[in-house]
Amino acid sequence: MKTKKLCLALYSGSVDKLTAAGVILGGAAAEDMDVEIYVLLQAAFAFKKENAMTNTRVAEITDKKDEFLASLQRLDAPHWTEAFKTAKEMTNVKVHICGFAGKVWNGFKLDDFIDLADDICGIGEYISSAEEADINLFI
Amino acid sequence: MTQEELMSVAIDKSIDARGTSCPGPLLAAKKAIGQISKGQTMEVLSADEGTKRDIPKWCNKKGFEYLGTIEESGFFKIIIRK
Repeated sequence: MKTKKLCLALYSGSVDKLTAAGVILGGAAAEDMDVEIYVLLQAAFAFKKENAMTNTRVAEITDKKDEFLASLQRLDAPHWTEAFKTAKEMTNVKVHICGFAGKVWNGFKLDDFIDLADDICGIGEYISSAEEADINLFI
Repeated sequence: MTQEELMSVAIDKSIDARGTSCPGPLLAAKKAIGQISKGQTMEVLSADEGTKRDIPKWCNKKGFEYLGTIEESGFFKIIIRK
């Protein structure tokens, strides 16, 4: 049986959306799906080495940010980077940093980003991947 | 399978995922299923309500047999046969 593929255009650099992405990746990992993640614009900020663990920005319900972050802690929810790492350990997940997005945040080489990143790519690769995917998501 | 029959199933592997939220129990099940042989059984302990629906669907997709769910106080046990 052909392995199903999830293509995720990850635009958001906020922890609420990155956490949601991590949960979805967990579901994909449980089903042994291939996953291609394209890290676009604001997400590239979150993937920078100096930002990944310190960034606590949220995109939605911002007035309840403290409550949201405290709930994640209370529920012992893994940090989004841990959720991504777990998914990478369990299934075939590739994380591609958009070259343009990287440059926007002064990330010019792969080493500027956390170890989850596999390579830096152009948007053409994303389009090709999205064409082939069984599921396409934009977060 | 009745609850009585379910409770009498011999369990070969038990996974306690009560400390995790979705998708933790599902991922714990996936990790553990590789450690048992075909025909053996596994129980997943969870307190995450979504897991009650997730694991049966996952079993169906992956070709494992979902035997049923036993309700306990504050958590439940999902029984699977590989």
